[in-house]
Amino acid sequence: MTNNDRLTRLSAHAVMVALSALALFPVYWMVQTSFRPPNEIFSTSFWPSAPTLDNYRDVMAAMPILAILWNTFVMATATTLAQVATGLLAAWALVRWRFPGGRLAHSLIALSWLVPFQVVMIPNYVLATKLGLLDSLAGLVIPNAAAAFAVLVLYNAMRGFPREVVEAARMDGAGSLRTLLEVVIPNLRAPLASIAILCFISAWNDYFWPLLLIRKIENSVVQIGLQFFMTQEGNDWGLLMAAATLASLPILGIYLALQRQVVESFMKSGIR
Amino acid sequence: MTDTVLAVPHAVPRRALPFRLRAAEPWLYLVPALAVLVIWTYVPLLKAFELSFYQWNMLPRSQPRYVGFDNYANLLTLPDMRRAVVNTVLYTLGLLPLSVGVPLAVALLTASLKGPMRNVYRALIFVPMIVAPIVAAIVWRWLLNEDHGLVNAWLRGLGFDAVGFLRDPQVALWTLVWITGWKLIGFSTLLFAAADSAISPSYVEAARMDGARPWQILRDIRLPLLSPTILLLTMMTILFGAQWSFVYINALTGGGPLGSTTNVYYLMWEYGFMTMSAGWSTAAGVLVFLVFGFIALACLALMKRLAVYDE
Repeated sequence: MTNNDRLTRLSAHAVMVALSALALFPVYWMVQTSFRPPNEIFSTSFWPSAPTLDNYRDVMAAMPILAILWNTFVMATATTLAQVATGLLAAWALVRWRFPGGRLAHSLIALSWLVPFQVVMIPNYVLATKLGLLDSLAGLVIPNAAAAFAVLVLYNAMRGFPREVVEAARMDGAGSLRTLLEVVIPNLRAPLASIAILCFISAWNDYFWPLLLIRKIENSVVQIGLQFFMTQEGNDWGLLMAAATLASLPILGIYLALQRQVVESFMKSGIR
Repeated sequence: MTDTVLAVPHAVPRRALPFRLRAAEPWLYLVPALAVLVIWTYVPLLKAFELSFYQWNMLPRSQPRYVGFDNYANLLTLPDMRRAVVNTVLYTLGLLPLSVGVPLAVALLTASLKGPMRNVYRALIFVPMIVAPIVAAIVWRWLLNEDHGLVNAWLRGLGFDAVGFLRDPQVALWTLVWITGWKLIGFSTLLFAAADSAISPSYVEAARMDGARPWQILRDIRLPLLSPTILLLTMMTILFGAQWSFVYINALTGGGPLGSTTNVYYLMWEYGFMTMSAGWSTAAGVLVFLVFGFIALACLALMKRLAVYDE
């Protein structure tokens, strides 16, 4: 290895270490602040000298955070299941048949991500009010029960599926639904897992629609709970950081367990 | 009718569905997804268009009143809208270095990294992407706090004055740009790194045999082959950058101080749910949708023409 090569590699490590620190430090600072007693909050030392769980106890006293986390979990799971189910069915229709209107349906689905939420929020809000969906978890799930990206990713995955296998299933007398359930889906594990991860994380982190829909703190999801908390206890930093840490734990847990799949699913399915 | 004739032998091995039902079959599968998108995206889009010609305060008992193009005329003459548009452009321009420039540079500089450390870095720099926006807002609000935040403590330690990151009208918008960009840098870097490592080594090898210098290889081989990713991320930033900032505006500044951090999306929110003027909000929405829709089509056309693909 020449000196020049070594220098290149060394500077590459330096750049990456700097970027990693930049990415991780705020998260670290959040966690360590959450363990600080009030008299140490403003200290700039890197770790509290007397770590305490008091802030977590106070968060639980100040807001029903466990119920809120449970709401969020139910909402995110239901949204994920719905998006995967509607995505599978729609993608299968577009792959399995060529039919008049098919291209139009495909474009309608694909173009829906161009409509910014802020443009349709008022009609959506009015509709949700009319349907009695205000302040309910169902109201958070139903409008998000289908996602363009889920349909499109599954569409691409199914298109790569060998036609002969589908034909063979049909020759055996399997209807289109049975072919989907018994032949196609079992072979789509990887894309399905990747979509489920992405749906779950984006539902968990969703902010805008719950902000419009949810009124009572005990019905809220964790992002809104945090927002609420920030306006109420704006400068009680220990408390806020404990709440933010609790809100992030499930997602960070998923990331620790499935790091590679999470990164890959984000990279495959784009930013939104 | 030839379709029917052709379809018959095709369908023989199957349980015979009546012909009309068979034509409807794909639609049965499409209905759930299409219904959700039509009811919650497309019909509301038309509804927003309709509402933009009315004056309405959204209270249940009040009736919308038809006002023609008044909402549009007011929007286009008010200084609010102009400032929101200027800020939207600033958000987008400010984000581009963080979502495209820096990640591209980092990916190119670190392409030589191999081995286990590479995966460790990958895992670490991606973390901000999965952090909830509101959590990012809270954490940065703490780090950048004017009196007690760590960043200002460091600045004071270095002999500078404390900066009102969220209070100074000159600075606040760039603070929000930074927080929005912080979430994206790592993710974009990974996208560029993936695209760069997909470049066939034989091209680089061949160029090197011909005596090309590293920067020539960069300019003539790697950058052109990275152009689809560069264009994609640029397009995403232009189309969605201002939307990504919305959470931070709403959670951290409320558009202030002195309106310095508002943008078109926040303006719609303010009109809609703070001043309760549905007509103004939807009129702004229609304008934004038309402008961004046009930009999206232009971007797609541009991408087709400019991107270089490895055949």
